[in-house]
Amino acid sequence: MLLTQLAVAGIQTGMLYALTAAGFALIFGATRVFHVAHGATFILAGYAFLEAVQLGLHWSLASGVALLLAVAFGLFMDALVYRPIQKHEGSFFTVFVASFGAGIAMQALIQFFFGGGFATISVPLTRAAEVLPGLYIAPVFWVALAVVVVVFAAVSLFLERTHAGLGLRALSENPELLRAYGLSARRLSALAFVLGSALAVPGAILTTVTTGIQPADSAHVMLVSLAATVVGGIGSIRGAALAGLFLGLVENLVVSVVDTQWSQAASFVVLFAFILFRPNGLMGRAGAR
Amino acid sequence: MITRRSMLAGILASTALPAALRAENEPYVLGTLFPMTGLLSELGSIYANATALGLEHVAADRRLARPIVLKAQDSQSTPQGGAVGMSKLANVDRAPYVLVGLTGVAKAAEPIATRAKVLMVNGGGVGPDLAGLSPYFWNIIPLANQELPTAFDWMKRNAIKRVALIYLDDPLGNALRKGLQEGLPAIGASLVGEFSAAPSAQQFSAMIAKIREARPDLVYVASYGTQQTQIFKQLRDNGMTQPIMTYSVGGTPSVAALPESEGILFTSQVADWDAADPLTRRFVDGWRARYKDNPSTYAQNYYNAVLLYTQVLERLEKEGKPVTGDTLREAIGSGTFDLVGGKARFSATGAIDMPTQLNRVQNGKFEKAS
Repeated sequence: MLLTQLAVAGIQTGMLYALTAAGFALIFGATRVFHVAHGATFILAGYAFLEAVQLGLHWSLASGVALLLAVAFGLFMDALVYRPIQKHEGSFFTVFVASFGAGIAMQALIQFFFGGGFATISVPLTRAAEVLPGLYIAPVFWVALAVVVVVFAAVSLFLERTHAGLGLRALSENPELLRAYGLSARRLSALAFVLGSALAVPGAILTTVTTGIQPADSAHVMLVSLAATVVGGIGSIRGAALAGLFLGLVENLVVSVVDTQWSQAASFVVLFAFILFRPNGLMGRAGAR
Repeated sequence: MITRRSMLAGILASTALPAALRAENEPYVLGTLFPMTGLLSELGSIYANATALGLEHVAADRRLARPIVLKAQDSQSTPQGGAVGMSKLANVDRAPYVLVGLTGVAKAAEPIATRAKVLMVNGGGVGPDLAGLSPYFWNIIPLANQELPTAFDWMKRNAIKRVALIYLDDPLGNALRKGLQEGLPAIGASLVGEFSAAPSAQQFSAMIAKIREARPDLVYVASYGTQQTQIFKQLRDNGMTQPIMTYSVGGTPSVAALPESEGILFTSQVADWDAADPLTRRFVDGWRARYKDNPSTYAQNYYNAVLLYTQVLERLEKEGKPVTGDTLREAIGSGTFDLVGGKARFSATGAIDMPTQLNRVQNGKFEKAS
């Protein structure tokens, strides 16, 4: 039963990783901006939800507040940080440093207002019950599963069935051609940031109620997002989501054979293995890098 | 007859005199190297608040010929920050007496302080290897190994036979692990599982699945800071109903504030906030008036560290000795001091000898457990 329990824990962790990584993968895939500040978007959404709930708002309204702030931060980064840099110089490294700096600044701001400690909300959803002898599952597992299915179905439909979605997918391939078809690369880039930042919100809320959140989580979120994006295949949201799930599973299942403190390291062993032996990732296209 | 030589001597004396007078009138410096930012900033606030209260009371008493001035540095909860902060306190602020907390920070700052002969007083770190760290290092808090006998006593009375340990793989975690490995057999119990956590780990559901398989009667947690509270929450969320026990770090406000911490047991030095002695009353009443809550044992320690400095300075003033790391060290090692909690002495290894007790989180508050 231990392996089943570890698999359940792995799927739950993996679903949170999938939600976290998909936003980063979408932004990077469409705009080629290495949006390190995505980690800051995640903690901003988590703290916004937490604060709104503590102020007495219903969880649905609190989720709305978190969504609003996350999207606003994403748009701010796109319009006022990345675009001016890209206009003048636009080197990958300059954009990366700017994103890194903005992420640190946001993390410091959150720490200034909410403190550096761990924050969480206690909800009955996270209390596990024994569903089979030796197998404990919390209701939040099913909530996360439902959220993952709905969110990814909606994003897939949007990307595959709408003009804006198709434009978004084409943005990284050939912006000039987009212009020829009368589409605005600038607007599509903003749309990528709106969608990508919004995708961080469900993961942030679920993380806040299950493990709790702290400002320093920003770096961990980025590492997971990066690992899932590489393992999943750069440019593929589906790949990033699948890789997030896979990394969560590995992190938990590996505990059955190695000491518990090495579980996180296992994810990065997987990352190295993919970089060495399958650099295009699970669902990436050759030459997409 | 005024010669050139006597004139020169006169000029030199006249310039040196104000400096000597100034040195005599300069305030005493009290340095603090607390974690004001970083993962353990919650503790830094407690340490700083207690130090401020102690200084306020000492200033009101006017027992010293010169005032005490505070020089604060932020360790940022990291050993590196501790080393940088101690360099500033020793070389720029010239603090002969510095309050520190956190085992890792104290150990990083210690070589710098020892080289500069700065006396360090630790009221927060409980790593057993802090005993005898340096002749200039003193602990005003019982170290974690000094708390374990109280934990064993409770386990024996409650027929605990199987203990699972979650520990941070650092000197403190490993010292507690060793203490449990050696002490549990003496009460007829054993460690049925030892689960190490990486310092950055936040997800413990896999670890908890393994703990459940070990069927422990009690889970002992040897971590600290935000990770500790995350472990408590996830243990309860994942259906672990067994008693959870930890060491004195369990007495932090964030633990009490977490609903999942209800019933958690932790050992600490004896802290009786209802004691009638004037020192305890002044400290507890002062804390309650200012911070609208009961103090923690950490607050008691740093308040005591200020009282200790004052009493040692008084003694040096009476004896007409200068205030240096060496004179402070000699005075602390040979004296008995009136502190909150009773009279205190220090052992040759720089550890305070204090009784310990078991506490429980009950309705969001700490109370003594029977």
